[in-house]
Amino acid sequence: MDLCVFGVDDGYAEAIIRGLRASFLSEAQYQQMKNCASIPELKSFLEETDYQNCLQADNPQIPTSILRQRLKKKLADEFEYIEAQSTGTLTKYLFHLRCRFMIDNVVNMIEGLKNKIDIEILLSNIDPLGWFPEIKNIKVLEGDDYSSLYRDVLIDTPIGVYFMKFLEESIENLHENRTLNDIQNLFREMKPEYIRTSLKKMWLEDFYSFCESELMATSQEVLLELLKFEADFKTIQVIYNSIGNRDLNTAAKIITTRKQLCPTIGNLYPDCEKLYLQAMTLDTLREAVKGCDNYRDLLKDAPDPLKREEFNVQTKTLDDIMYDDECRRYALAFDGQGSYGVFYAYLKLKEQEIRNIIWLAEMISRKLAKNHPGWKKIIIPFSHLGK
Amino acid sequence: MSFFRSKKMKYYSLVIPRESAWVVMNELARLGQLHFVDYDPQLPMINRPFANYVKRCDDSLFKLSCLELLLKEFKKNLNYCENVEELLDYFSQVQYDRMKPGHTYFDELESEIEQKKIQIQEQSANLQNLLDRVNIITEQQLVLENAKEILGQSMFQQQTPHNPNDYQQLKFGQLIGVIEKEEEVRFKRIIFRVTKGNAWVQIKDLNNQQIDNSMRQSFHLNQNNTSSPRCLYVIVYPGAEESSSLKMKLLKVCDSFNRQRIEYPNSMDELQRKMMELNQQLLEVKNLIEMSKQQLEQSLDELVLQKQGCNCSYFEYMRLYVLKEKYLYVNLNYLTMRGSIFTGYFWLPEGLEIMVEEKLRNAMKNNRDHYPTGQIQEIKPQLTSPPTYFNLNEVTMPFQEIVNTYGIPRYQEVNPGLFTIITFPFLFGVMFADIAHGFMLFLCGLYIIFWKNYLLKQTDSMFNLMIPFRYLIVLMGFFAFYNGFIYNDYLSISLNLFGSCYSPEKEEWKRESKDCVYPFGVDPVWQASGSSLNFMNSYKMKLSVILGVIHMLFGILMKGVNTLYFKNYLDFFCEFIPQLLFMICTFGWMDFIIIVKWLNTYENNTDPSIIETMINQVLKPFDKPVNPVFPNEAEFQLQLTQILTLIAVICIPWMLLPKPLILGSKNDKHKVNMSDSQYQPLVLEKQVSEQDEDNNQQFHNDLQNAANLKSFSEQSNEQHDSGEIWVHQMIETIEFVLGGISNTASYLRLWALSLAHGQLAEVFYDMCLAGKLDIGGILGGLLGGYFYIVFALLTFGVLMTMDVMECFLHALRLHWVEFQNKFYKADGYLFNGYSYKKILNDNLKQSNSK
Repeated sequence: MDLCVFGVDDGYAEAIIRGLRASFLSEAQYQQMKNCASIPELKSFLEETDYQNCLQADNPQIPTSILRQRLKKKLADEFEYIEAQSTGTLTKYLFHLRCRFMIDNVVNMIEGLKNKIDIEILLSNIDPLGWFPEIKNIKVLEGDDYSSLYRDVLIDTPIGVYFMKFLEESIENLHENRTLNDIQNLFREMKPEYIRTSLKKMWLEDFYSFCESELMATSQEVLLELLKFEADFKTIQVIYNSIGNRDLNTAAKIITTRKQLCPTIGNLYPDCEKLYLQAMTLDTLREAVKGCDNYRDLLKDAPDPLKREEFNVQTKTLDDIMYDDECRRYALAFDGQGSYGVFYAYLKLKEQEIRNIIWLAEMISRKLAKNHPGWKKIIIPFSHLGK
Repeated sequence: MSFFRSKKMKYYSLVIPRESAWVVMNELARLGQLHFVDYDPQLPMINRPFANYVKRCDDSLFKLSCLELLLKEFKKNLNYCENVEELLDYFSQVQYDRMKPGHTYFDELESEIEQKKIQIQEQSANLQNLLDRVNIITEQQLVLENAKEILGQSMFQQQTPHNPNDYQQLKFGQLIGVIEKEEEVRFKRIIFRVTKGNAWVQIKDLNNQQIDNSMRQSFHLNQNNTSSPRCLYVIVYPGAEESSSLKMKLLKVCDSFNRQRIEYPNSMDELQRKMMELNQQLLEVKNLIEMSKQQLEQSLDELVLQKQGCNCSYFEYMRLYVLKEKYLYVNLNYLTMRGSIFTGYFWLPEGLEIMVEEKLRNAMKNNRDHYPTGQIQEIKPQLTSPPTYFNLNEVTMPFQEIVNTYGIPRYQEVNPGLFTIITFPFLFGVMFADIAHGFMLFLCGLYIIFWKNYLLKQTDSMFNLMIPFRYLIVLMGFFAFYNGFIYNDYLSISLNLFGSCYSPEKEEWKRESKDCVYPFGVDPVWQASGSSLNFMNSYKMKLSVILGVIHMLFGILMKGVNTLYFKNYLDFFCEFIPQLLFMICTFGWMDFIIIVKWLNTYENNTDPSIIETMINQVLKPFDKPVNPVFPNEAEFQLQLTQILTLIAVICIPWMLLPKPLILGSKNDKHKVNMSDSQYQPLVLEKQVSEQDEDNNQQFHNDLQNAANLKSFSEQSNEQHDSGEIWVHQMIETIEFVLGGISNTASYLRLWALSLAHGQLAEVFYDMCLAGKLDIGGILGGLLGGYFYIVFALLTFGVLMTMDVMECFLHALRLHWVEFQNKFYKADGYLFNGYSYKKILNDNLKQSNSK
């Protein structure tokens, strides 16, 4: 049924995004990019692709960070255009998508301010996709007083809700007769990475319930599947990264932290929860997730987190493996008809493309030999479909 | 007859040493008759030897376009080049005077452009900075003035409280500054939250855009204001101590809005002093602006200036030169580089070889270092067929354009464009037939022809778009006029020009004499009779079928001409002849009996029905016709129709069967011969690899190899599947046989559209004019005037614009589908001469239309 009426409101936006499918770099183009010998050459190559207009005004020796910023800006412009063309539920949905970037931006700002980095530099580095007007007011932050940051600035912003929940939760976890001092201590010790993970978890759960309650059946089918995977991805990441983490010394603390950070959705939750919360080695983690989907195969090649010190550029990390699988799923979702999954997939795949270009730019600027395994570490969107 | 078939082309290879590549290409581009063939279309542009130069040219063009924006902003008018030929001569003159290798001139220009761009952009950025500075100062002034008003005197008169608990003596602090207008609400909210409501915020619009614009105006600058509206804020909060946490926090918040915050002075005197200071600053900055503006204008004027002997601004000169250079390198990229030799291939219209050689000699002469300038040699063409090249003029261009829009003629194929010159306006005229309307269109065309130069200057004229099509319009108008006479239709009224053969007599029409014939067109008496529409319909219908069949037969004949020209006798005997016979025996015969029926008089209601005759001829082949077309010769007619039907029926298998059978048997023989030819390329490659490195010899070797390579690659890939041939032939046959009927029917649109045109004209005439003219008196005059205007507008809007378009489109369709599908292959590609003149002219148009 919803396939018949999908086009009424969202047909135009979908059509635009289908048109943008042509802007993805092809495998042959990646091959040519790998052959570039220097950054100016890479830049002039990119000028022959869809990225032409966003790079033209720049100097040929473009630093990677600016290159990234330009590419992201282009993506953000496209996304904004689509957002402007959307109506009703789709607008809400697209806005939800942007929240993820806003969280990243806010946490980056907080982190930067804590490290006393100049606000102008921070502002120039924010992801244009997650820009919102209040972001520059984060400057008001004093010390570690997140609650007043929330009260003064973030309360009005789209991510205020998540921030409030986060504050509530972290205060609740303290013992009964807490003092102001305790709270301040808590915030002082809190790592920005922790804030990010918890905020993102809340966002994911919220987005999930949004998709579940407001979207039409086809969109739900596609998106819930993607989000479940993403949640599982997060869970596995949290567990994986906490294995052998020295900051979390006691077993009880590991489990509570994990419990706080792992999303309460996905294929793994709640069936495997008990198992994965207690997984202390890679093998037990593999065992814990074996019941679901192809997770076991994914984890098969992951390097052991206990030997983190031995990792280098060549190591195919867990993230790489997961991105690869993600990319396949998104490409499939993109080619599906009549669902909102296409917008989500577009964003994710374009992000992957930008990551690829930046990675290659790094490789080129470091002048690594062409037989270096790092050259192979790019995941080309839509390359999975042909096979 | 250069227009009937495209020009003969010859394929040449060109070999130039690297050193003189630029000179040679520069000379050849002046000739404009070479069509370079890309040696490897798959190779991406970026991997070609001159990709770098092309890129540099692009960069320079980009810089120039930045400069152009500035020129526009400062309202500098460029002199655009009008005569490309002169400019090109000037280019070569400049080159000649330089006494340096030609290609280095671009380097000079490039660095000059770069320099100019940096200089001018710096100056304009400087100017912009100063303007911003003025803005900030005026803003400060405004803020201070407004704050003074809002805060009033009492702010300065606060005393330190004697008793800190007495809230009436509590001291207040204040903050003033500027924020963006759109952030007003957010700002208020944040302040409210930070102070928990304990602050008084006042916001006032600054109207900064108006101020900005008025200031820019005072410097005669463009008012392209990009600044967003801003407003000033005044916050009053309790507690004046310097280090109170509230103040610190408020400061942070205010600063985070990224606009200027202004210190409010402590006393009235100080305020006054500050205002004075600002005024002083403002004056200084304004002086600076005047100066830097003059500087900027000076540098811009340099670009506008015309150099001696050059017919356009220096800016335009640079732009066109860079464009020309880019074009040269793009074409140079079509050549392969082998060692220090460039090898390329090009098509050249027959007979121009001498001119190319002369250009090469010229290049040698102009070349400072007297490098050898390369050679050309005719070689056997590759698999690709030559390009299609016509020498067009302004008359033939629109007609060829009509044909090209459908498809470019195949090389040397009969060009339908030639016939289109007359048939297109004629068929249009048949549909648009009206003496008055046609004449108006004719006049319109004449106007464009005679006032062309005047119209070219009016850039906003509607006629401007029609200039290329002026001869088309004249001919269309003429034929509509002519056909209007034949139909005797003047705005739906028949004219009695030559005196009708009938005169009214007792409510009847009497023919004056038996031999009286109206000399030209339709006798106007028909309009007066009641059966005018019936008569005209039958007449127009038959006429359109006759025209259609003639048109199509002509198309088929052209197919015959094509097959003979290409010596394709198989198609001549197995396609052309049966098709021609089929068409003649069916619809040709129909036309014939239509005319016979017109010429004969039949008595006692024995006039034959054409349709019935045609149908019975096929369905009842052995019955004598009841009402024969040839009076009293039914027997003869029966025999004739039997023969014709038989021929037509035989033609169908004739079209279908022989061709695929013959092709199939040929293929079988071909396969046997295939085996040995496959080895030849290998031998050749060996030759190439064994090539010795000696430079002089290599030059000749290259030439030889180039010639050899191409002739070997002539292996035709005519290995069609026999099944494919059958399917193809079946489709062709079915299309032709069924198409014969449907295409003939399609020509009935000639009648239908002329009927529609006539009826519309009649309706407009009846509704607006007829009857209204008889009222008389002042009222009648007014009404008549009013209805005349309505009539004129309707005639113009509906008939002269919409109906012209409609008839045009239908004439187009008749040509594209019904006529051209009989013979036209349309799978050629256009000759694209390597010519500076063309590329520069193309770019001239753009800059003029801006």
